[in-house]
Amino acid sequence: MNIDAARNTFFEEAQELLRQMEEILLAFEAQSSGEEAVNALFRAAHTIKGSAGLFGFEGVVGFTHVVESVLDRLRGGAIRCGEELTSLLLDSGDHIGTLLAAAAADAAPDDAALRRGRELTGRLASHLPPSAQTPLAAVNPPEPEAALAVSGGGPLGGVDTWHLSLRFGAEVLRMGMEPLAFIRYLTTLGDIVHLETLSEALPPIESFDPEACYLGFEIDLRSAASRQEIEAVFEFVRDDARIRIVPPHAKAGEYIDLIRSLPEEAVRVGEILIGAGALTRHELERALQAQAADAGGRRLGEILCDKGVVQAPVVEAALDKQKRSEEKRALEARSVKVPADKLDLLIDLVGELVIAGAGTQLLAGRTHRSELIESASQVARLVEEVRDAALRLRMVQIGEVFGRFPRVVRDVSRELGKDIELKLSGAETELDKSMVERLGDPLMHLLRNAMDHGLEPAAERLARGKPARGTVSLAARHESGSIVIEVRDDGRGLDRERILKKAVERGLVQESQSLEDGEVWRLILQPGFSTAETVTNLSGRGVGMDVVKSSIEALRGTLDIESRPGEGTCMRLTLPLTLAIIDGFLVGVGGAQFVLPLEMVVECIELPAGDGADGRDYLDLRGRVLPFLRLRELFEVPQPAPRRQNVVVVSHGGRQAGLAVDCLMGGCQTVIKPLGVLFEKLRGIAGSTILASGEVGLILDVPQLVQLATGREANRLGGAARQRALQS
Amino acid sequence: MGKTILVVDDSASLRQVVNLTLQSAGYEVIEACDGKDALAKLDGKKVHLIISDVNMPNMDGISLVKEVKKHPSYKFTPIIMLTTEAGENRKQEGQAAGAKAWVVKPFQPQQMLAAVSKLVM
Repeated sequence: MNIDAARNTFFEEAQELLRQMEEILLAFEAQSSGEEAVNALFRAAHTIKGSAGLFGFEGVVGFTHVVESVLDRLRGGAIRCGEELTSLLLDSGDHIGTLLAAAAADAAPDDAALRRGRELTGRLASHLPPSAQTPLAAVNPPEPEAALAVSGGGPLGGVDTWHLSLRFGAEVLRMGMEPLAFIRYLTTLGDIVHLETLSEALPPIESFDPEACYLGFEIDLRSAASRQEIEAVFEFVRDDARIRIVPPHAKAGEYIDLIRSLPEEAVRVGEILIGAGALTRHELERALQAQAADAGGRRLGEILCDKGVVQAPVVEAALDKQKRSEEKRALEARSVKVPADKLDLLIDLVGELVIAGAGTQLLAGRTHRSELIESASQVARLVEEVRDAALRLRMVQIGEVFGRFPRVVRDVSRELGKDIELKLSGAETELDKSMVERLGDPLMHLLRNAMDHGLEPAAERLARGKPARGTVSLAARHESGSIVIEVRDDGRGLDRERILKKAVERGLVQESQSLEDGEVWRLILQPGFSTAETVTNLSGRGVGMDVVKSSIEALRGTLDIESRPGEGTCMRLTLPLTLAIIDGFLVGVGGAQFVLPLEMVVECIELPAGDGADGRDYLDLRGRVLPFLRLRELFEVPQPAPRRQNVVVVSHGGRQAGLAVDCLMGGCQTVIKPLGVLFEKLRGIAGSTILASGEVGLILDVPQLVQLATGREANRLGGAARQRALQS
Repeated sequence: MGKTILVVDDSASLRQVVNLTLQSAGYEVIEACDGKDALAKLDGKKVHLIISDVNMPNMDGISLVKEVKKHPSYKFTPIIMLTTEAGENRKQEGQAAGAKAWVVKPFQPQQMLAAVSKLVM
């Protein structure tokens, strides 16, 4: 996984959202606003804020939070969008863009941008109720100097003041080294603004050696010289003296910038620090010796920080750089970048090859010539392998998305003051790249919701006899042709009463209605639904869940919720792998042929004579009720049914259903061809394919059919509540 | 009054270069062609710094350092040793004798002046 790639994706996405916001705002100017437009505006700001938080762009988060708060009031109808507000929001959008650009360049926003941010925040605040106004300090990013002062070492003067600690060895005078000469020489590099002579080491007069040096000096030197230049002053005494050079605070930022701009070549932290001038080679050697002598096996960075040679943020920047360099090298060594359209072309061609190969095999079979048949099947086998290999090219591990979450959990747990552990599993599960890219946001929403609303504060957890540390787990796995991702927490579970109360308030349900748990849980997926009592920086504006639901649906996936009071909640995403080619199972009804995804086929049975003869749509499968659909009726196939029919038992999402067909024609390689725009809304058909014979076959949408069969059956049994659930 | 520097080297040309460099920077220069000669020149007059080669006939640089360190009037006088890249092993010996400042030949005049000013400024 590569955090850089994820960052780039975020910036692209944020630009797109800003562009959308601008479009909507410009439309406001032209005419009065629709409710959906305001919602979209709000969601865009919300998404930018959420993702920016992920990457630790506090400046972007802080400012966008204010914008979002204003948009929330606009959405709630508390304020109206006049010309002044529209232009303020347009300006704010531009400012978010500026902040993003600075973040993208790894730089702090410049003074002008900070001033602009304060000005806009002030203007935005006038649209907020006084209590909701966020203090400016929290909104504006901290000044870089202030941020670094925390971790800098040594008593420091001004911004360009170096601090030198000199402890001369007793022998220096006898070596012909005069401390005063070095101090005088220092003045050629800059001004000594402060000098303190340390005489604690002076022994009592009787043991005083007049030829020995007992003095130490603390010097503040204002100088534009580099660390190397300053260190070189003491090149002749450094073996006989302890010399510590602490750079000015301002330097730390400079070093960090330098480190970031270095070419990604050096892979050792020490070399990176030397490259940026934050460390001299001699200091490095000392530290390496200390490291070699250190029994605790400490890292070089820790030793440098402890000795006060380099400030912690600088070491961190170097470590970060090292990681990036390594990643870049590893990546360069192992992978080749290929434009996605070339891959798509390859997969298209392989698809055609599969069809053509199957055709050849069919024709070869008709000739009854064994060599030809053998050769054709060998070709077919190879084509199959080529197909698999080609498809794998587009598959990536979901770990690419998971990789960014440990950071989110860390940050969020701090922000919320909750102790949270994140468990990841199934990071190696592969799925199509296009899916991976679009899963990040919904997963992040779910994860944040779990942490913010799901997990109780530690005290409450302990009172319930749970460990103080909350657990959020993210697990991915393959399951019958789909990928299942679960976001689970061990928190308080969903609050049925509160959800119902809220739903009644919002007019989503009638107070008299009795609802099953599953139906209640699904209410939280409604737009604008939020039960959080306070609005936090993280979630709780009711934007998350409906956004999640619609983005999952856009991926042809489903979102199921399980929750037990006091035990936790599990959000389960089931997504197709979106493969261009599937292993299909071919069935015939009259003259028509249909393909079912093989992974969803459980078994095939003969339709018992008499069963269903009275129009019932269920049969007895080893003592269980199995609802089934007659494809002949469903698709209005004109030919009459043969005497014997078969039932293919299919399963999706834990539910089974039967499909009654005329004949079973066995497995086949199926290249999915999307249906044209005209047929997109067809129920029960997912796509089409060209069969080996050259005929067109329709690919059945098994999830929909299963739902239809079970729904129908429920309907017949009078389960009105169940039917509502299926319709919603 | 300028500071006085004793330059000890068996190469006349090198002595000349160093001499010119130091004089142009305002130092007074005394020249000596080997260790023995140098000790003879240390006759009680104030010498602020000694610059000495290591390999010299009669008395080499390291022996000179040892002698100087024994000399009551000159034992605190800073010494810069001139050496070549190949002379690293003798550096240990010289440092043990008390010569801490080493300058590798060939050097730029500026380099020499910087080394000198660090010690006698």
